[in-house]
Amino acid sequence: MAQRAVWLISHEPGTPLCGTVRFSRRYPTVEKRARVFNGTSYVPIPEDGPFLKALLFELRLLDDDKDFVESRDSCSHINKTSVYGLLVGGGELWPVVAFLKNNMMYACVPLVEQTLSPRPPLISISGISQSFELLFGIQDFLHLGQKNDTELNTKLNQLPDLLLQACPFGTLLDANLQNSLDSINFASVTHPQKQPAWKVGTYKGKPQVSISITEKVKSMQYDKQDIADTWQVVGAVTCKCDLEGIMPNVTISLSLPTNGSPLQDILVHPCVTSLDSAILTSSSVDAMDDSAFSGPYKFPFTPPLESFNLCYYTSQVPVPPILGFYQMKEEEIQVKITVNLKLHESVKNNFEFCEARIPFYNRGPITHVEYKVSFGQLEVFREKSVLIWIIGQKFPKSMEISLSGTVTFGAKSHEKQPFDEICIGGTAYLKLHFKILDYTLTGCYADQHSVQVFASGKPKISTHRKLISSDYYIWNSKAPAPITYGSLLL
Amino acid sequence: MSSRHAPRAGGPAPREPVVARSGVAPETSRLHLGGPGCWTMGPLSRETWAQRLGAFRASPSAFMAGPEGEDLGRDLLNELRSEKLSEQTKVSLLALSLEYPAQLWPDAAAAEAAATSLLDTLVLLPPRPSALRRPLLLAATTALAAGGALGPTSGASRRLLPLLLGLASGRDVGRGFGPASEQRPLQATACECLRELESCKPGLLGGCLGLLRSLLGQEGPVQPLSLLLALALRNTLVIQARARAGLQGLLVAGDMPAAGGPWNWTLAEEGDAHLQPQAPSWPAAEEEECGLAVLEPSPEEARELRAAVAQLLDTSYLLTPVAQAQLLWLLGWALRGLRGQPPVLFKPQLVRLLGTAQLTLLHAVLALKAAFGEALFTAQDEALLLRRLTLAAQHPALPLPAHLFYLHCLLNFPENWPLGPTGEETAPLLLGPRLCRGLLPSLLHDPSALLAHLHLLCLLCAEDEEKEEKGQDWCPRHYLGELLAGLRQRAALHGGPRALATLCFQASYLVVHCLAMQPMVLTPLTHGLARLYRARPALAPHFVDLLDRVGPELGEPLRMALRQEVVSRPGRDEALRWHLQILSKVADGKAPSATLGFLHAAAAHCTDWGLQQALLQVCRALLRAGVGEGLADLLQALARQLEDPDGRDRARLYYILLAHLAGPKLGVALGPSLAAPALTSSLVAENQGFAAVLMVQEAPAPMRLSVGPRRAAGPVPVLQLQVEVLEPLYSVELRFRVEGQLYAPLGAVHVPCLLPGRPCRPLHLPLQPRRPAPAQLAVRALFTTPAGLTCHAHLPPLTVNFADLFLPFPRAPDGDKQGFFEELWDSCLPEGAESRLWCPLGPQGLEALVARHLDPFVVVAQPPTSYHVAIRLPPASRLLLRLEAAHGDGVPVALRTDDWAVLPLAGDYLRGLSAAI
Repeated sequence: MAQRAVWLISHEPGTPLCGTVRFSRRYPTVEKRARVFNGTSYVPIPEDGPFLKALLFELRLLDDDKDFVESRDSCSHINKTSVYGLLVGGGELWPVVAFLKNNMMYACVPLVEQTLSPRPPLISISGISQSFELLFGIQDFLHLGQKNDTELNTKLNQLPDLLLQACPFGTLLDANLQNSLDSINFASVTHPQKQPAWKVGTYKGKPQVSISITEKVKSMQYDKQDIADTWQVVGAVTCKCDLEGIMPNVTISLSLPTNGSPLQDILVHPCVTSLDSAILTSSSVDAMDDSAFSGPYKFPFTPPLESFNLCYYTSQVPVPPILGFYQMKEEEIQVKITVNLKLHESVKNNFEFCEARIPFYNRGPITHVEYKVSFGQLEVFREKSVLIWIIGQKFPKSMEISLSGTVTFGAKSHEKQPFDEICIGGTAYLKLHFKILDYTLTGCYADQHSVQVFASGKPKISTHRKLISSDYYIWNSKAPAPITYGSLLL
Repeated sequence: MSSRHAPRAGGPAPREPVVARSGVAPETSRLHLGGPGCWTMGPLSRETWAQRLGAFRASPSAFMAGPEGEDLGRDLLNELRSEKLSEQTKVSLLALSLEYPAQLWPDAAAAEAAATSLLDTLVLLPPRPSALRRPLLLAATTALAAGGALGPTSGASRRLLPLLLGLASGRDVGRGFGPASEQRPLQATACECLRELESCKPGLLGGCLGLLRSLLGQEGPVQPLSLLLALALRNTLVIQARARAGLQGLLVAGDMPAAGGPWNWTLAEEGDAHLQPQAPSWPAAEEEECGLAVLEPSPEEARELRAAVAQLLDTSYLLTPVAQAQLLWLLGWALRGLRGQPPVLFKPQLVRLLGTAQLTLLHAVLALKAAFGEALFTAQDEALLLRRLTLAAQHPALPLPAHLFYLHCLLNFPENWPLGPTGEETAPLLLGPRLCRGLLPSLLHDPSALLAHLHLLCLLCAEDEEKEEKGQDWCPRHYLGELLAGLRQRAALHGGPRALATLCFQASYLVVHCLAMQPMVLTPLTHGLARLYRARPALAPHFVDLLDRVGPELGEPLRMALRQEVVSRPGRDEALRWHLQILSKVADGKAPSATLGFLHAAAAHCTDWGLQQALLQVCRALLRAGVGEGLADLLQALARQLEDPDGRDRARLYYILLAHLAGPKLGVALGPSLAAPALTSSLVAENQGFAAVLMVQEAPAPMRLSVGPRRAAGPVPVLQLQVEVLEPLYSVELRFRVEGQLYAPLGAVHVPCLLPGRPCRPLHLPLQPRRPAPAQLAVRALFTTPAGLTCHAHLPPLTVNFADLFLPFPRAPDGDKQGFFEELWDSCLPEGAESRLWCPLGPQGLEALVARHLDPFVVVAQPPTSYHVAIRLPPASRLLLRLEAAHGDGVPVALRTDDWAVLPLAGDYLRGLSAAI
């Protein structure tokens, strides 16, 4: 259960190599075991250069995908996970766990404690999940609060020391690298007995607990007879507990109002010590009925020092917050658009912001727009071929607004306009972006009085709520649109 | 243990720099230029080292091959003691040694020396806080373990192990190991080092189990000690089980090895032969070899073991999630199959673990499921686990790679009672369509996500095959059809990225792979793919690839559809090269006229070499398929009309082949060439292919030839040959050569086909003797093998005996046989010769002898005493015999011949007759 090597590679399209190895680390003692376990199927870890090339090729991140290459494009070369086999030095290096996030490739190779031929199923390889945790951990560390390249470089420079703490011999000890950074700084503190490994020190100061619930609402709306609209709420509860003592106990209860939508698919942080079976079993695959468990949802836990996600949940609210339709018709070099949006009366009509982005893909730049809006303003981004309808802080009293207009396009230039594989011809969407503070769509809230803290001192408890949109699409109802299986179950 | 003792225990004499430091008076030492590093070579600055390390990391192999490579390992060790370099730079030097010990110190001796030097450096550190202690411990451990130097004979091992164990147990190992504030991190580091050594040498810590347990119970750092104990415990169990020994009180055994006393290598040496997987892969673990069923601990040992495991599990919540997962894998597989150790110990952990989204934890739960099955998970538990897994596989809060891994786990779920074949991905029984709803593919998915979800959909469709389509629900098969259509639509986009096309073909392949028996799926798929080709012929390479990989269920109809798609359109557009590529794949004997029509029309547009070759490639496919009619005209036309000489030559060659070779042979001649295909001229490559076929090859004799019974009749003597073959042979030609020119040259004998086990009519070989004499015939066979190769073989020579040449005289007129014979008898003299001899008779007597050997030639017979025999010997000789007045054991024979040269042959013949009976 260990890693043989790990890499971070920045993806740089347009440069000769299309990427640079920003960090790599090898574990020779693990490699020695790999040689024994893998026997004749052993393929050594390559040097950075050949690895970079092979990985980018396999993930189609080189700029040369013009010709059919059998080893990459063959129909039987099927990858259903983020685990790859790379052709290096005449052998195939497998399993390589790798994914691309924010233009950075995260990759590592776990030890497989047996022969690789035939390949064992991934589920039976203990190092695979550890690979993912290591890479996710590095990714969280690099991108937590990171704003620019300088910060990224600083963090990359810290990585060798951090991995020396978190993964000294290739066996991951802690995926939370921030924790390892703190442990380097906390080194002088003498640790009492039974200090959890995930908590490197103790808090000293005024006790306080902060709980914030963030709900994201997704939707796919089609305005079609035979296709159902879908929407879903995904919630995340984030906590920061500044409490004295080594192992303070806290219980947070989430409650719903009487007409609230039950929370489902609840995933909790590993620090939660026990779970009600009703919480464990409430799932979105079951048919909803009145008997569904509707809280309160109790989460007893021992908090880590840092801010953490206590739990995630999903929920099916009865209606989407904003219901709309979008009609777009092509007429030679013009398109005619009509948009109608209606805020549901139950939703708090007080936005931090609300806007609709209407992109036009696979076309030239916008040369001319004629439009009429019943509310708000329209901004035109000609080069990007995007219209942004700024709706503002409130819907009007009628709760319903509309936009209609005609958009004319210039000639298409391939370099500037990226190809979109979904929005072809009449297939088009508008995407809503909005945020409402101090509000959740499910009604879910954390009552300050229901928070129980077993620690010295009475903590100050603060709670926050917000609803934001995420992947909120309204598809052109005059053309085909991509659907999910759920949309067919009318 | 004292600090002086620890590093030097049993180690080699301290090396040069140490001597320098301790041997030179401190004052002098300070006057020296900057410490010990400087007098092996000039001290390298921080910048120089940074450059050097950078160059090394860019390509370690290139650096080591360069001029600086050899010294790097030595310099690095020396520089660690330089007082000029900052700690940070030294840490980066140590970091390099942690990654590349094999390059720096390539053999065990060098690794041993390096570890010794690192330990020396460690004990020489001044007693103030230092960032170097931890990396030095890691580096010494790495050097020993990776360099293969770890062992009882290694001095560095004998120093390092007690030092690590002392640090791990929180003992005072001496002032040299820094202030108290550093003890705690060093304690954890020592545990990690010991764990790595135990991983590389299982059983190393077998003697320390009791010590580790007591440390864990006291105030040691929980996580490092837990993981170390779990690993050591697991390894000990495995080694003892293999040795059929019990735990022998190891779990309660007291203190650490006596300070300075020898390390106990017994278990490590037993474990050495088998590096044990810490968490064996599941199928491998099924084998008894990996199980621990043989270990039957005594009740007391079992209680201790249970207590130790419970101790580890009870404090597991103090571990980080990834460490908890390791603990569960180790303990789960350690206890699996161990008698008297019910897995209920794990039960209290499960509910807590099932609630999390942590990948390693859920994976560890699945490992426990695989290890214990029903003993730990009831049917309800299994259902709950599946629900949580399904949920995790689609939860919007989790990242895509996690979704895909969970989906993989679903399709490889370790069920309590699996129904399907092992080793194949299947949807678990409890995973009904309802649970799967959120797991179905959508065009909005990433390629790998789409393929993963598509696989699940295919498995559902396969299950759904028997059921009637349900009215209210959308049938998964319909959805599959729509999805594939959407993928094809995207793949059809001109100028779209290749990834979209690849995805479409991968999805099609996956569907065919799973649903090959469902025409309801395959028919629309075939038509859809044909339409995709019409829309974007440039995808031809993908089609060829697909045809190469799918079975006939899709392959056959798709070939036909594509052929029609191509030939029904005029072949003159820019897609011609794609059309020709497709045709060369799909052209077969069916409907050749349409294909030939297309090629005729296309020929005029094949203006460059590449197109001409593509065109000829189609002709080649037609040739192989046995299309003759019409193809000859096309090839002739091409041989005249193509601009490129290479093309004309190739067309002419095909024409010649077509005209001269029969179908099967043509097929073989044009079969896949073994020659490298990348040669510029297609002729060269192709020639090598069929040169082998057209040449006659020497082969061992595949048949046996023998001379059968004589057939004395007709105008010339004819040998009856009998043939037996060992393998099917075709177009067999037997060639004979007479040694000594006794006969006229012999004609060849042809047989179209010879099959083993099937009797063949005798072959007739007419002989035309120039002299009536026996002879040897050399025999060669030419034949075609079933593989189409033409071979020749030498057969053992055949002997033509004197009697094989005998022919009877034409029939004498009835009634006057005696007169006829007397006339012949008289005519032999005076030119000829006369002789008398004694022909011995066997027990059967004269009558049997004549009946057996001379019957066809008897002219006058008065059985049983008198026979007159007349034999014609081609070309123009005669032999006349009178056998009269036989006695009991012989008969006197009077013989006459008109050819005196025959006389000795006849004599030998007659004397040999009785023996031949």
